[in-house]
Amino acid sequence: MGDDVLLQIEGISKEFPGVKALDDVDLTIRKGMVHALVGENGAGKSTLIKILAGVYNRDAGEIIFEKRPVIIHSPADSLGLGIKVVFQELALIPHMTVAENVFLESFPLKKNKVIDWETMSKKTAEILLSIGLSINPKDKVYKLTVSQQQMVEIARALSHEAKLIVMDEPTSALTPKEIKFLFDVLRKLKTLDIGILYVTHKLEEVFELCDRVTVLRDGKLISSNNINETNTDEVVKDMVGRSIKTLFPRTHTGKGNVVLRVENLSTEKKLKDVTLTVHAGEVIGIFGLLGAGRTELAKAIFGLDAITSGKILIDGHELKVGSTSHSTKMGLGLLTEDRKEEGLVLQMSVAQNITLPSIREFSSFGVIRRKLEARHANEFVQKLRIKTPSLRQKVMFLSGGNQQKVLLARWLMKKLKVIILDEPTRGIDVGAKAEIHRLIDELAKAGLAVIVMTSEMPELLGVSDHIVVMSNGRVTGGFEKNSATQESILAAAIA
Amino acid sequence: MEQKIENNRISIIRRIFGVSEFGLLVSLVIIFTFFSISSKYFFTVKNISNILGQISLPLIAAVGFSILLISGEVDISIGSLQAVVALPLLIIMNATGSFLLGVLAALLLGATIGIINGLLVTKLKINSLITTLGMYYTLRGTVYLITKKVAIADDSGSEIFFLIGNGKLYHFLPYSAILMFVILLFFIYIMKNTTYGRRIYAVGGNAEVARVMGINVEKIKFSAFILCSTLASMSAILLASRLGSANHLAGQGFEFQVVAAVILGGVSLSGGIGTLLGAFVGVFIIGIIQNGLGMMNVYTMWQLIITGSIIIMAVAIDELKKRHE
Repeated sequence: MGDDVLLQIEGISKEFPGVKALDDVDLTIRKGMVHALVGENGAGKSTLIKILAGVYNRDAGEIIFEKRPVIIHSPADSLGLGIKVVFQELALIPHMTVAENVFLESFPLKKNKVIDWETMSKKTAEILLSIGLSINPKDKVYKLTVSQQQMVEIARALSHEAKLIVMDEPTSALTPKEIKFLFDVLRKLKTLDIGILYVTHKLEEVFELCDRVTVLRDGKLISSNNINETNTDEVVKDMVGRSIKTLFPRTHTGKGNVVLRVENLSTEKKLKDVTLTVHAGEVIGIFGLLGAGRTELAKAIFGLDAITSGKILIDGHELKVGSTSHSTKMGLGLLTEDRKEEGLVLQMSVAQNITLPSIREFSSFGVIRRKLEARHANEFVQKLRIKTPSLRQKVMFLSGGNQQKVLLARWLMKKLKVIILDEPTRGIDVGAKAEIHRLIDELAKAGLAVIVMTSEMPELLGVSDHIVVMSNGRVTGGFEKNSATQESILAAAIA
Repeated sequence: MEQKIENNRISIIRRIFGVSEFGLLVSLVIIFTFFSISSKYFFTVKNISNILGQISLPLIAAVGFSILLISGEVDISIGSLQAVVALPLLIIMNATGSFLLGVLAALLLGATIGIINGLLVTKLKINSLITTLGMYYTLRGTVYLITKKVAIADDSGSEIFFLIGNGKLYHFLPYSAILMFVILLFFIYIMKNTTYGRRIYAVGGNAEVARVMGINVEKIKFSAFILCSTLASMSAILLASRLGSANHLAGQGFEFQVVAAVILGGVSLSGGIGTLLGAFVGVFIIGIIQNGLGMMNVYTMWQLIITGSIIIMAVAIDELKKRHE
């Protein structure tokens, strides 16, 4: 015992403004073992692996690698130690060949310092063969499937003689067959005495592949067990760890007329025959694992993405397909998942961001009545308790939770009929989460039809009146609030 | 806590001066003082009047150019456009003797070029730098083809045409400067107080967000292209008046003079950031530097080197300041 310890993390902490992402976490990874790291979104998994990868620096704690305390300040430090993190967003250069990508950080050189292409191809072929992959080292990476690209990253790790490979949600974009292949490869790596940290939220994978499982929740270490000493129920309990139903009390129930109806909606890439009905004053929670098609559904309904068939009706009137300006006119609003890329205009002020879609209401003949605008913006800043030094503060300086409130304020002001909230609490600290949930409740109380897309189980069960589960672009389940259980929802999401 | 105090301080300065371009204005004053001390010819009524006349050309174009940059696009064909729109201006004025018809034709051609640029960028989704680079060569070639590299002189006898570029009110304020101030103030108001202005900022700041807000991103960008070309045509008319001809070399390098000035004035190349007041100060600073160095009898080559260095320094300082924040 103890000889085979590869990596030991002791008391590691990391804080971001407003959030304690990691709080005194310990973790021990052994050679030749697959160690699962599980937890809900925001549990601290990503932060932990980014510290290992040298993307973030830790605030406190110690990392002991092969019995030596080490300091990881940069990705180069991490790679130098023999740690290779394969992120969900693969770090490959699409227009380079497989071999070039495998040897990206250190091309084999000839004596005269010129790249030795022959050796590079030969070595790449050897490595690929050793993990049972038959692709040409001279193929361009962009032509490969996601699964093959992942293998190129693993091959890159092997070319560095990596001792620890971290896989971040590796199966989210893979087919069942590809997943099986990935598992075979990972098992092969085990026999080479390589340690694997496997980050996932799919428990069935944990029990199929892994030797040990560590659960994080809200940045804290909850449990760490050998796989044969635990079971799915226990792990789920550790992940959730609280009595869900009392977390977000909904004050409002009872629904009005049908406001939004989505009929047989399909898109080229993802959605297949999605039908959905939302009533006034109702909150529909749409659940799905990564890649289930939630964001795609939100965008298709709103008119951001093209649809191939189906129709969308608001109050019985059909929406013009693919026109966001028509959608907003009809009273449809979308709060996108990605606040910074698709939600806020960061250089603009808090007030300007809030009034952006409703600016016409504060202007006559195209001239903005700035005092009126400020008064209304201020009203919503107060009502939603947005913490900002002034209305003129640039929105980029606000915390994540307050930015999200700015986005909500925007749509509250606009007087909508339907609002779609895509992951409304992603990356927001716990206190602000509760406030967002309170606001969702208020939206429903005000008679809006609310759709909440979420991948967080407690949030789903807490805020929804009715739950719709998606998987692979299809609706795979529907539950009333009272009949829904985590198990039945997960079963539908995996289907 | 610290951040809050910082914010208060900024807002006090803003309240006093009413602008966020405070740093730029200070540099302007420093440079102005420097030249006033260095050359006895600099701070004279005649020279100030000259400076106003000189900067009115780039400034009028800079207004439209800044709006386009803020919307997230760019147009580097404005220099060639200056040469090409002078052709219908002079040809029609010479043929009809009518200043008004000539101006109308020039503005119409300018707007049409803006429409073409705008369509190529918003409909065919060609990168605006590439589109207008193509336009830059095409227009210059067209001018060579039509003029056969011989300037078309003004023989219309139109007095207004001469006066708009060369005349001065009370022998001090150039008419072109009056036009410049009217255009500047009008568009400052538009950008600050109208929904159109707000949308330009939103589209350039984050086009995806603007789309989600129901703003027609393409329409806004398209309009900015037309605005940019039309205002550049106005400055082209003033240039033709000063030259007294349509010259095939007119406006060469003009686009970069304008780019340099507005960047110096704090307008971002990546869109969404900047003000017309800033652009104005940027044009003013470069105008003064060039004029002042001339007054000090600095060789042209040194003028170019100094101007270039100042631009790089100013932007570098700005970048460092941002990183510090």
